[in-house]
Amino acid sequence: MDINAVKQLAEKNGIVFLTYAGFLSQTLISGMTEALEKEAEYGKLGAGEATNIFTIFIEMAQNIMNYAKAKRPDGSFNKPEGIIVVGKCEDGSCYYVQSQNNVDLQDKEKIQAKLEEIVTMDSESLKKRYRELRRSGRDSHDKGAGIGMYEIAKRCQRVEFSFLPNDQGQFAFQLKAIVTVNKGEIL
Amino acid sequence: MDNLFIAATQYTPEVTMNTDGIVAFKGKSYPENTFEFYRPVMAWLETFVNAVGCDTLRVEFEIVYFNSSSSKFFFGLFDFLKEHSAHKKITIIWCYDEDNESALEAGEDFIEDFPSLNIQLKTIA
Repeated sequence: MDINAVKQLAEKNGIVFLTYAGFLSQTLISGMTEALEKEAEYGKLGAGEATNIFTIFIEMAQNIMNYAKAKRPDGSFNKPEGIIVVGKCEDGSCYYVQSQNNVDLQDKEKIQAKLEEIVTMDSESLKKRYRELRRSGRDSHDKGAGIGMYEIAKRCQRVEFSFLPNDQGQFAFQLKAIVTVNKGEIL
Repeated sequence: MDNLFIAATQYTPEVTMNTDGIVAFKGKSYPENTFEFYRPVMAWLETFVNAVGCDTLRVEFEIVYFNSSSSKFFFGLFDFLKEHSAHKKITIIWCYDEDNESALEAGEDFIEDFPSLNIQLKTIA
């Protein structure tokens, strides 16, 4: 394994923080968040921007973790594995938090419906929708409030997503959140 | 009833609940299972609002950042306080770092969602 190739790939894409977790656990998530926090502190990243990046990171990581706890239709469990990266945009004006994990067709449809709604909304209608859903409790489940995608979207300028089919009949769900940064950086 | 104290962890806040009506949440809130973590908090509040004696309740939040299920929990907590504001004098203080517009916005959202509650925003240096 050419580990330097990983480093070069990270540099080329402005990746400042890379995680691949075979088994994503709460302890790992909080350790990674703490590391991210330290790097943002060194780079004197603005508090609001830092909060948004941490929240998006936590939301994506806990989504992956919780997804793995849900039983699949055949009774088996998903592996709690996923990739999350935090990177700097090429022109330096923003950061992106990007994740990928495998999901079933049924869940793809649920997530896709939410995201398709989200990408059409401006920030005011997004905030309104978030509060509406938080109030109604609709979509909430035992592992969360069902508003995670809206939380992510509310805290960034733009989300992008895609679902790539794999050989096992599942989909690689890719989600990217772009956060504009006016002050400081993540070192 | 007794005071309740839960020490902070990397992902859960310090919780202080005193029978003199002073309650505080301080730190980060992104538990693995939010509702389970806050269950003793709700149990304490349930007992407190039904107990005679202390008529005032002051709830202070100083939450640096939180996940969406904590956001949902806080909403439920505010809702609970609203329901009991007739027989207790309730004050909520939402503290935020003045550089952190996201934390300020979260406080403003609660004020808009709960116009009948006395929610005050307070900056911390």
